[in-house]
Parts: sequence; C-alpha cells; structure tokens
Amino acid sequence: MSLDATFTREIPLLEGKSSFKEIDDVIAKPVESKPTIKWWIAIGISSTALLIGAVCLGLTFWYGIGLWGNNQPVGWAFDIINFVFWIGIGHAGTLISAILFLFRQKWRTGIARFAEAMTIFAVMTAGLFPAIHTGRPWLDGYLLPYPNQHNLWVNFTSPLLWDVFAVSTYFTVSFVFWYVGLIPDLATLRDRTTSGIKKFVYTIFSLGWRGSNRHWQHYERVYLILAGLSTPLVLSVHTIVSFDFAVSVIPGWHTTIFPPYFVAGAIFSGFGMVSTVLIIVRKVFDMEHIITVNTLEKMNKILLATGTMVGYAYGMEFFIAWYSGNPVEQFAFINRAFGPYAWAYWIMISCNVLFPQLFWFKKIRRNIPITFVIVILVNVGMWFERFVIIVTSLHRDYLPTSWAMYYPTMYDIGILLGSFGLFFTLIILFARTLPVVSMAELKAVTENAQPKIHHNGSE
Amino acid sequence: MFGRILNKIDEEFLKSEPRKGELFAVSALFDTPDQIITSAEKVSGSGYRRFDVLTPYPMHGLDNAMRLRETKIGWVGLLAGMSGTTLAFLMIWWMVGIDYKNVIGGKPFFNIAPSIPIMFELTVLLSALTLVAFLIAVFNKLPSNANPLMATEFMKHVTSDKFGIYIEAKDPKFNQNEIKSLFSSLGASEVYDINEVSYDEGKTKNPILDFKFVGNLIGVGIVTAILSYFTLNYLLFLPPFNWMHHQAKVLPQSESKFFNDGFSMRKPVEGTVARGFIPYEFKGMHDSLVVETPNPLPVTKEILEKGKKNFDIYCSPCHGYYGKGDSRLRGQFPVPPTLHSEKVRSWKDANIYHVITNGQNVMPSYEKQISRDDRWAIIHYLRVLQRSQNAPDSDFEGK
Amino acid sequence: MDNIKKLPDSVNKKGGIMLILGVIILLVAFVFEPQRAFFDYLWIYMFLVSIGVGSLALVGLEYLVGATWSTPFRRITEILASITPVLIILVIPLFFGLHDLFHWTHHEVVESDKILQSKSPYLNVEFFSIRTAFCLLLWLVFFFFMTRNSQKQDLDGDVTYTKRNITLSTVFTPFFVITITVTAVDWMMSLEPHWFSTIYGVYYFAGTVVASFAATTIAAVLLKQGGYLDPRIKNDSFYSLGTMMFGFNVFWAYIGFSQYLLIWYADLPEETFWLIHRWEGSWKFVSIALLFVHFIIPFLVLVGRRAKTNIGLLKIMAPWMLFAHALDLYWLIFPTYFKEGAGFSWPELSFPLIVIGLTMILFKVLSDKKNLIPVKDPKLQAGLEFHL
Repeated sequence: MSLDATFTREIPLLEGKSSFKEIDDVIAKPVESKPTIKWWIAIGISSTALLIGAVCLGLTFWYGIGLWGNNQPVGWAFDIINFVFWIGIGHAGTLISAILFLFRQKWRTGIARFAEAMTIFAVMTAGLFPAIHTGRPWLDGYLLPYPNQHNLWVNFTSPLLWDVFAVSTYFTVSFVFWYVGLIPDLATLRDRTTSGIKKFVYTIFSLGWRGSNRHWQHYERVYLILAGLSTPLVLSVHTIVSFDFAVSVIPGWHTTIFPPYFVAGAIFSGFGMVSTVLIIVRKVFDMEHIITVNTLEKMNKILLATGTMVGYAYGMEFFIAWYSGNPVEQFAFINRAFGPYAWAYWIMISCNVLFPQLFWFKKIRRNIPITFVIVILVNVGMWFERFVIIVTSLHRDYLPTSWAMYYPTMYDIGILLGSFGLFFTLIILFARTLPVVSMAELKAVTENAQPKIHHNGSE
Repeated sequence: MFGRILNKIDEEFLKSEPRKGELFAVSALFDTPDQIITSAEKVSGSGYRRFDVLTPYPMHGLDNAMRLRETKIGWVGLLAGMSGTTLAFLMIWWMVGIDYKNVIGGKPFFNIAPSIPIMFELTVLLSALTLVAFLIAVFNKLPSNANPLMATEFMKHVTSDKFGIYIEAKDPKFNQNEIKSLFSSLGASEVYDINEVSYDEGKTKNPILDFKFVGNLIGVGIVTAILSYFTLNYLLFLPPFNWMHHQAKVLPQSESKFFNDGFSMRKPVEGTVARGFIPYEFKGMHDSLVVETPNPLPVTKEILEKGKKNFDIYCSPCHGYYGKGDSRLRGQFPVPPTLHSEKVRSWKDANIYHVITNGQNVMPSYEKQISRDDRWAIIHYLRVLQRSQNAPDSDFEGK
Repeated sequence: MDNIKKLPDSVNKKGGIMLILGVIILLVAFVFEPQRAFFDYLWIYMFLVSIGVGSLALVGLEYLVGATWSTPFRRITEILASITPVLIILVIPLFFGLHDLFHWTHHEVVESDKILQSKSPYLNVEFFSIRTAFCLLLWLVFFFFMTRNSQKQDLDGDVTYTKRNITLSTVFTPFFVITITVTAVDWMMSLEPHWFSTIYGVYYFAGTVVASFAATTIAAVLLKQGGYLDPRIKNDSFYSLGTMMFGFNVFWAYIGFSQYLLIWYADLPEETFWLIHRWEGSWKFVSIALLFVHFIIPFLVLVGRRAKTNIGLLKIMAPWMLFAHALDLYWLIFPTYFKEGAGFSWPELSFPLIVIGLTMILFKVLSDKKNLIPVKDPKLQAGLEFHL
C-alpha cells in the first residue's frame, strides 16, 4: 500500500479491474461448481473432529457430566472456557460488519459476509456449552421465563440468566443482519442459476428482491440501524459474559475493568480466528484478489491495537491488585504468575501481548505465513486467557484445605475438539452454499460504481 | 414433487417466446451510474409517478434523483425498541418483584441496576426483529415473486451488471412510444416491453391440487404425527432421560442398602449434644432431689407470646387452652388434673420444669420436642393462666 | 484563503476579563477557605487536562486511523490541545496544596494506617511528582512535534509531515492511555486513598474523549457561525462530530454502569464506601443528575440522524456535554471535600470563568498565527467533500 494513496482516496478493494459480471462469476464460482478435492479433504478433517466431539458428548449425556474433570474447588472449567472462547470469536464478525460499517471502512466489504457467518457459527458453537453443562440439556427450557407448571420464574438477578438473553439476542440479531445482507445476493444467484432446484430455493429465500431503488432506500436505512443496534449489542454480550465472573467476590474475578477488558479480548480473539480462516479460504477458493493483503494488513493492525488493550487490562489488574492492599487479591495475582499454573499464564501473556507486538513492523504485517503463525498463537493465547482466569482463580480457594489442581479428562478435550469440528464444518459448508463475499456491497465500492454527478445535491 | 411444480413455473417463466399477458411496463437498461442517475432525474422530472429504478447495489444520490421522500422506517425501530425496554422492565418487575419474591444474596427483590442488561437485550431484539419484519413485509411489500419483472432478460441484468429503469403502463402519463424514444435518447443500451404473466386457466391446472402432491402432504402429516407420538411417549423416557425418577437417595421407611444395619441415618456419637438441647441434670430423678433454680427468662411480652404459642401446641391437647384439664382428646387419653389446683400453683418454677422435662405418671417427657427456653417460657405463660383464673381482689382494686 | 476574517480583538479582552475575575475569586477563596480553593483548582486543572490532552489524543487518533472527515476541524482541535503546554504552569500551584488535597501526604495518618503504608511505595510525594512531571513532559513533546508538523505542512503541503505524524501518533496513543490512567489514578482516585477500581482510568478516558469532541464541536460551530471558517465546510461534516460525541458518550455510560453494577453487586465494604459517599445528603441528587445530564438527555436528543447535522442543536448540546463532564469531575473530586452533601457557592464560579477565559485567549492568540483549517493537508479535500 502506498501511503500517499491512502490520504486522498480509498485503496481499490479489488486488485485488478473486475467488471460487475466478473465479480459475480468469481464469487458465485464455489457455489455453482462441483467441490474440489481440497474441499473434500477439508470437510473430511473437520467432520471427523465433529464426530469425535459428538461421541464424547453422547457419552457425557449417558453417564452424566461426572466424566468431565470439573470438581471442587474448580467447579467451572472447560465448559465455560470454551463458551467464552467461542462467544469471543463471534464478536469479530459483528465488529467487522457493524462497527466498521458505521466507521465507513470500505475494506471490510471483502470479509464482512464471511465474518458474519463466522459470528453465527461461533455463537452456535458457544451456545452448545451452557446447554450441555446443565447435564440434562433436554430440561434447558427452564432457562427461559415461561409460565411453567411449578409457578417458578427464573432468577433475574443472576448474570447467567442475562447470558441466556444476551446470547440468544445476539444470535438472532446477527442472523437477521446476515440474512438481510444476503437477500440481494440471493436475488443475483436466482437470476444466474440454471438448475431448477437451486432456482426454487433461491426464489423462496430472496423474497422476490428486484434491486428496486424504492426498496434499497428503506433497506439501506435498516442496514444502518441494524449496524447501530449491533454495535452496543456486541459490547453488551461480552460485558455480560464478564459479569458472570466479575459480580462474584472471588479474587481475580471481581474487578471493575472486566467488561471492557473482555470485549477487547473478544474482538482480539475474533480477529485472530477470522484471519486464520480467511488465510486458508483465500487459498482454497482462489480469492486472493478479493481478500487482499491490504485487508489482512488492516486486520493485523486491529489485532495489534486490541492485543495492546488486553495487555493494558492485564497490567491494570496487576497494579490495582497490589494497590488495593488486599492480601487475598495480591495472592491471587502472584499465584497466577508464579503458581502451579504459571505456564498457562505465560502462554497467555506471550501469545496475546508479546507476539502481536511484531505487527508494529510493516514487513511482518504484510507477510502472510508469519501472520498465519501469529494469529494461530493468538487463538491459543486467548483460549488460555480464559483458562487462566477461570481455573487459576478457582483452584486456590479461601480455605487452603480445599486447594486442588484441575486436570481435564479425555471427554473434555474431545468436546473441545468437537467444537472446532462443528465450527469448521459449518464454515466449509457455508463457503460452498452461499456467496462468501457480498456481491452487492463489493460492486458498490468498486471504482466508478458511484455516480460522479449529484442531482439536487445533498444540500 | 418439486420437479412438477418447478416444471410448471419454468414453463411460464423460462420459456423463450414472448408472454401473452397485457403490457406491464416499458423498461430500459443503462451501462453507467451517471446515465441511470440522469435518466431517473429526467423521468421523475417529466412527471411520471409509477416508475422505478433497479440497480444491483445501492447507489448514492438516486433517492434525490427519483425525488423520493426520506424513509420513515427509523421510527418503527425506535418505537419497537422502546416497547422492548418497557416490556422487559415490566416483566422483570412483575416476575421477581411481585409474583415470585425470592431472597437472592440479600439483594432487593427488584432493583433497576441488575435489570438493565436484560432490558437492553430485549430493546435490541425487539427493535431489530420488528425493523426487519417491517422492511420486508410493510415497506417493501415482499415477498412478491409474482412480479412480472421476474425471470425476464431485464431482471437478469439489473441484479448483476446493469442499471434498469421502467415505467408502468398504469402511469397516467404512459405512452409506449414516447417512453421508448425517451429511453433511447438517454442512451439506453436495451429497451424492453414487459408483459404480464398470463395463466391459461383451462390448460394449466394448479399443481397444488395435484392428487400426488396432496397425497404426499397427507403422508408427511401422518408420519409426523406417529413420530411425535413415539417421541413424546416413549423416546423421551429411555435412558438417559430419566426425568429424575431414579435418584441416589433413601426414601422414608425403606431399608438402606448402603449400611449394613439397614438404617439410612447414623446415630450420633455417644455423648453428642444437639444444639440448643443442653442435657437436664436431674433427668429421671425424684422431685425431692431437684435443686430449685429460678426461671432464667424475664417476663416480657415476647416471652409470654412464645410461651402461649408452645403451650397451645404441646400442652393444650391434654391440659386444655386454659389449663383446666379439659382435654380435646375426648377420652382417648387419660384426662390430666387442672393446673389451677393449689398444689400446682404453689409449685416452684423448677418443679414444673422438672415435670415437663421428665414427665409424670402418664405424661411423657417433652424434653425432645420443646427446647429449654421454650419450656421456661411455657412456665411463665402458665403463671399468667393461673393468675387469670385465680386473681386476688387486689388485682381489681386498681380500677 | 485570505478573505477569511480573523477573530476580533474583543475576544482577547472578554477572555482576559473572565480569566482575571476567575483568578481573583480563586485567590479570595484561598484566603478564606484554602482547602476548598485547592479543590476548586484541582477541578479546573483536571478539566483542562481533559480537553487539552483529550484534544491532543483526537489529533493523534485522526492520523492513526486515517480519518478524513475530521481533517477540516483538526486545527481547532490542535488549538484546544495547546492547553497542554499551559498545564505545566498550571500544575505548579497544585503542588503547594498536596497536603490539603491528599490524605496520604499526612505522615501521621499513614503511620497508623496499614493499607496506606502498603501503598506508600506508590503514593508518596516524590514519586507522585515524578509521575506528574513525566506525564506533562511526554504530552508536551508529542504536542510540540505533532502540531509543528501540521503547521509546517500549511506552507508547502509536503506529505512527509503526515507520514511523520502518523508515526508519532502511533507511538503517542499507547502512551496517552497510560499517562491518562496515571493522571486519573494519581490526581483523583487517590483522593480516597483506600478505594480502588481497575476501570477508573478507562472511565476518565471516556470522559476526556467526550469532552474533547464537545469542545471541538462548540468551537467549530461558533467559528462557523461567526464566519471565521472556510465556507467549504458544510453541515454534513458536523454529522461525524455529533456522532462521535454521541458514541463516546454511550461508551462513557457503559463504563460508568459497569463500574457501578460490579461494585453494587459484589457489595464489598472496601469498594462500596466510595459510592456511599456519593449518595450522602444532597450528593444523591448530584449522582442522579449526573445520570440524566451526562447520559439520558444527550442520548435521547442526539440519537436521531437529523439531530447530528443540526448545527443549532449541536450549539446547545456541545456546551451541555462540557457541562456534563464538569459535573462528572465535580462528582469525582468534591465528595472528598464536601462530606455531608454537595456544595456550590461563589468559589466554584472560578471554574467556568478560568476555563472559558483561558480557552478564548488561546483561540485568539493562536488563530492570529495559524490558519483555522490545515490548508495544505492531503486529506483536506476528502474531508471537505464528505457528504452523507
């Protein structure tokens, strides 16, 4: 990217000049062609992981959650770690599609649809864990406030209930946002396809969209408002997740910076995952000129910014723990850094704060293999962040007699693997069934797509 | 089944020969954004009202060129959002503040601060869903797959790479040739006539009424019903769905399989003292050996009320509410003598305490049922009863 | 560009009178109630830090994220940021009042207080002074280089100045976050030395950004209406100013709510006393007023799309937000002094007089020397062309 160009105009999103027709052809290609060998290998790996997870989950249902490693005093472990991890991943999608939209960042176009889909799949994967951790997921209906035969209402004071509302709202709104964005593209596909069944399906889901400007007018306003609604929503979701911990009085959990710190961490981990997937997808589906190095570089900048924010929160927590003069608080943090789980703590610090600092260098930001390694490390680091917060705070109870260590069982690990399997299987299926880049939005930001003359001006 | 319906649709929509219906509109395709915006300006400026511009993506400045009024859909979102906030507030307030009060962590039943997260979520949820529903159904009047523009060559371009404009035949100023020349003069790359789709009623039978289709529908219904029946009545009761019927606990009056002696409860260690049950040191001794201790409790309203409560529960079944020995047991148990006798009235408190604790004649010990303090409170109350039935004249002189 | 008029001299006169009046009030207050005068002065100082350093951060942010809409307003923000060097002089009197302001400077108190003893490696006058000096110098250095680059660009329009400023602001932003946190913790949180909250720095940061956007907005609106700004700046450009003010105000509310809810919910005595002080007597009404003035009313007014392009409305809402930030700082600082209930009397009048007077003089002096828009900035054209 030449610096001079950025001052005066946006960088052209598409590398090489593509006509509208070519854009359609490139984006619709995975949808309209037969799957390649690469695709079959990918789905084979991911569905194997999914299957392993399903078996572990089935055994858990049969024998109960005693199969997991959770025990006193570490009563919360992999289930909630994975939940927070996946929910966090979901945040990047909404950030890209909503917040960057509000900030008029045009480079988001190439990756927005994909990131939104990832949001939905990540929230689905995340939602699995609160559902299964109850042990009897078929009774989860009681989580909702409905007039039941016991005359009971749910506990509205509990942040875990806020989670139920937040996650289901988040899923619904993200899904609706994603679908609204898909409607024009489904119409394009409907008018392109020659297969009868596909045409039938596209016809139904595109709702008879014609691209009428009388429709676009309302559509654009709704899209803007949805983006405006999603922005505080995405903040609220991880804020509420952080409340799960922070409203308690457990040292290491109860600290007021948790809400913004969790949100920054969520965006950080989400961008890590989006980058990971995009780097693979642009290779597998030959989309190097749509998901460009420029886009990846911008994402790396955001990774650097959010990683540093997370680092600020780590520092602030440590400083205030010392400053509070509270010995229990001080012990919790010293134990994190130098106790039996110190290795997890230092994985977290190095992957989340130190390695992303390499992105200060432009050469590294634009180097795809190094970026790939760093974003994988970010994923690892953010998973360990939740591990550190949850397990190290719990394993040293107020009573030293109940101190213990936590060890995951093979079922814990199997379900974690299965969650990756579920996520990636859905992603791979999505990439073949729906356009992974918004054709309408992409066309709107290509060169010469907007008129140069303004009638009636905007005055 | 799908194939049949699709074939019918395709017959009408995809056939290449021109449609037979009436003229719906005259349309034109343009290649550049500047052309379409000029055309939109021109068409709206010429006084046409029933026209529309179709573009593959939203274009800046078209709203002004078409002279469209600003959309009001934002208000829908605002109203829906506000009702979401209110509904959430009312729901939480009524459920935990009124209907189901539960003390949780010593917090107030209803408080605004912990209700804000859910109020916020429901605001967003209602606002977003209502907006999208209104966008689709009310403002854009979708779905509308029956629009005559569907499946035309014109449509294929405007959802992909060209910009289209059309003027409906219903427009009061409509004149086919005039419009065609207008479009050509504006630089249209193609001009099309678009006809309505006509179903020939006699020839095309509605595929929905096809016997096979209806039969399949009924078949699907029956299968669904049977599956639901088995799911709800059998499948949901297979393990691991035990619905808590089997629990690792001992039911009352049943033998424990865990302990060898068959009892599920363990006996406390010898010499264990239960809380609030300090052993009575004159247990089982004769009255004469009792060392007289005064009643440790003061005479207060609360103590007397406690005494009355316990007297009414434990003593009154035999002794009667006023201690007159008028048992409510109707002869099923020996009637005790009155408590207002000279003998009982002259007893020291410690004697009465000894009787309650130890029992006397057929009266059993109440040591296990009544706590120490309650026994003393009963004695205070008994003194009140005695005084009330045998009041000396001095009590009345004050009047 | 020459036909644009300069600010009249009366601005200097009015500003000077206000400033002198404010200083006199403060001095009189010092004679009668020295402690109160120092609290007033701390209030003034923190507010000036908010808009001065906050504006410097906005300048940095514009370079960092490559925003173009804000370029026409950047010079106004830079003038507001030139409060930063003035802070170095302004902070000196405060050091004479440390004993009046901060509980932890009293040796006899620290000796009998275990918690304060454990904090004394951080909370001692020497280290405190070093930190304050470090923050002020750091701001000064970045202010100096960033505005100088921007100034020089007005002459030749060289792109390298923008490049340099991008580098500078990239380095500045993390430092800004750290220094603003340190300032908030040192000068305000340590007024209640037993109390602690990890979000405090973020809370103050959110307030400073809102205040700086509000200050830029009101300055831009007044200059535009007086005809001192380039006429090419249209109302649409104000949309983003309004939006950012609105957005960061919501962020402030979010941070404030998070802090309140977590303390309320955990109900730990070592944290709740801070909130209880702000619920004592008439402080209760200040706390409720803060919620309405700082969040609910501006939220409802600015939520619509049209509100943000309505200059008349922005002319009301921008000073409103500045007032809200002053109230926020009052709410943060003064419960330590007025323990029984909020107090407001003539000594507090020095606050608006000094702040407004100083800003007016700065504007007059600097606008005589500089262009009010960065005339040769490569991003300027894109910023002027912005339309909704």
